[in-house]
Amino acid sequence: MKRSVWLLLILALVVIYPLVFTTPFLQRLGALVLLYAIAASAWNIVGGYAGQVSVGHVVFFGCGAYASMAFFTHFGWPPIAAVPVGMMASVGIAALIGVPTLRLSGHYFSMATIAVAELARLIVTNVEALGAAVGLSGPVIPRTVFDLSFTSALPYYYLFLAVLLGVLGLTYWMENSRIGFYLRAIKDNERAARSLGVQAGRYKLYAYMISAGLTSIAGTLYATMYGFVDPESGLGILTSVKILIMAALGGAGLLFGPLVGAAILVPLEEVSNNLLGGKGAGLTFVVYGAIIMIIARFYPSGLLKLLLDRLAAAKPAPSDKKVRDVA
Amino acid sequence: MLLEAIDVTKTFGALTVVNEVSVSIEKGDILGLIGPNGAGKSTFFNCLTGDLMPTSGRVILNGEDVSMMTPEQRAVRGLARSFQVPQTFETMSVLENVMIGAFLRTSDPAKARRRAYEVLDLVGLADVASAVAGSLGTPGRKRLEIARALATDPEILLLDEAMAGLTATEVRHAIELVRKIHQTGMTLVIVEHIMEVIISLAQQVIVFHQGHQIAHGTPQEVTRDPAVVTAYLGKRAAATAARGFAGDQS
Repeated sequence: MKRSVWLLLILALVVIYPLVFTTPFLQRLGALVLLYAIAASAWNIVGGYAGQVSVGHVVFFGCGAYASMAFFTHFGWPPIAAVPVGMMASVGIAALIGVPTLRLSGHYFSMATIAVAELARLIVTNVEALGAAVGLSGPVIPRTVFDLSFTSALPYYYLFLAVLLGVLGLTYWMENSRIGFYLRAIKDNERAARSLGVQAGRYKLYAYMISAGLTSIAGTLYATMYGFVDPESGLGILTSVKILIMAALGGAGLLFGPLVGAAILVPLEEVSNNLLGGKGAGLTFVVYGAIIMIIARFYPSGLLKLLLDRLAAAKPAPSDKKVRDVA
Repeated sequence: MLLEAIDVTKTFGALTVVNEVSVSIEKGDILGLIGPNGAGKSTFFNCLTGDLMPTSGRVILNGEDVSMMTPEQRAVRGLARSFQVPQTFETMSVLENVMIGAFLRTSDPAKARRRAYEVLDLVGLADVASAVAGSLGTPGRKRLEIARALATDPEILLLDEAMAGLTATEVRHAIELVRKIHQTGMTLVIVEHIMEVIISLAQQVIVFHQGHQIAHGTPQEVTRDPAVVTAYLGKRAAATAARGFAGDQS
């Protein structure tokens, strides 16, 4: 009961945020937080819940971004119409990477994901139809409202919020159904899970494919807002790392962890870019490196988990009798 | 015949760890596997559960050849196990651990939860249902593994040294638990170091030594078998024992 009140309050704050903070910078910042929260929440399904750390998630982000721009450029589709194309391509690529590598222990999977993402970047850089090194652009002047080309960030903000709620809703449903239990069991102890009849390989693959499809939506939304994609923005390894760090910083394997991480990191990056201008481009990497070390050393389960544990410690734990009566 | 092993052999390179072991278990029986350290009983056990595939020979479960099946395929067919070193899901609660087992027969979380509570009642862990599994001690974890396995509604339960590392009192409680489970009609295979446990529980025993099955029979028969005594205590003790038994008969 208490929890749902808190959630409604936070949701209300998120909904009115761009109406209170009306400067273009802050509205755009809010939209970006939500966009990265979508990508990081999608990553969370395979990286957080199933514990299979993908370091090449940008390849799915790129599928979504490139699908929308390519179908606009070649066939004149509204960019958003390419969402199913990007998702299908992502799920296909996830199956291709996942089938041979998910049966191996964690590190091989992570390495394979990096390799595939870099490979995709190099290939796209040399494919003329995908804009090669220059990239592809979206509609310069919106033809209809379906082109989703706005000067204000406000429409994007609410569009991203709706998609994020969808992704979180799906994650919540998963968390409380058999697949969610199975993924956590696989993450904790795969051998034990298999002895109880859990088809570990298959469930990891499901998680990876779902995660890939959702990440691709984030890519399409990104390209729709910026109206542009090139190999660096759509397939650069930095985006993979960003998605991963946001989820890990907030709390991997927690429903709202990636959102918390995005709400901290996106403003940090935007502000530091503004302060340092073009000179500070390399500094972002340094900051990410430092954050990785700090998370690994002090908060391996993320900030949100830390906060929740503090709150739980402050309250007396319910006895098992009570828990049981409720259940 | 519920479970049958026919000439099961397992080699690792040039090393033969299990050499043509055959055994069959009727429904409702308890089979004990004993032997000194390194005798091959755990390897044989893992061939039965699917964690290892036999190099040659066959494993038959309910009339079906499962020799090349994975652990999860065997679990679906009614085989459940515990581990020598407990492999609980450390970050999940005791209840959730058992629910993972129950999910094998239902996809409905409410049904899985109900089934998990039933099993927790049976094994005596209901009071700590919401505790994190990582907070339990060794006896609790071993009990939890048995609960988790039972929640899959198996036809046969294989326990790998379920009593190892327990104190004398805890062993007594564990034996009571195994009896209780057996009384529900469960078929059991137990690997055990402690002779007392095997003698008080098993109807038939296989003794392993250097990968070979050196004796097979009731607990009374195998403990008198000179080959078994030799394997455990050495030749001189065996000779003394043989004289002693001869003396009994005269």
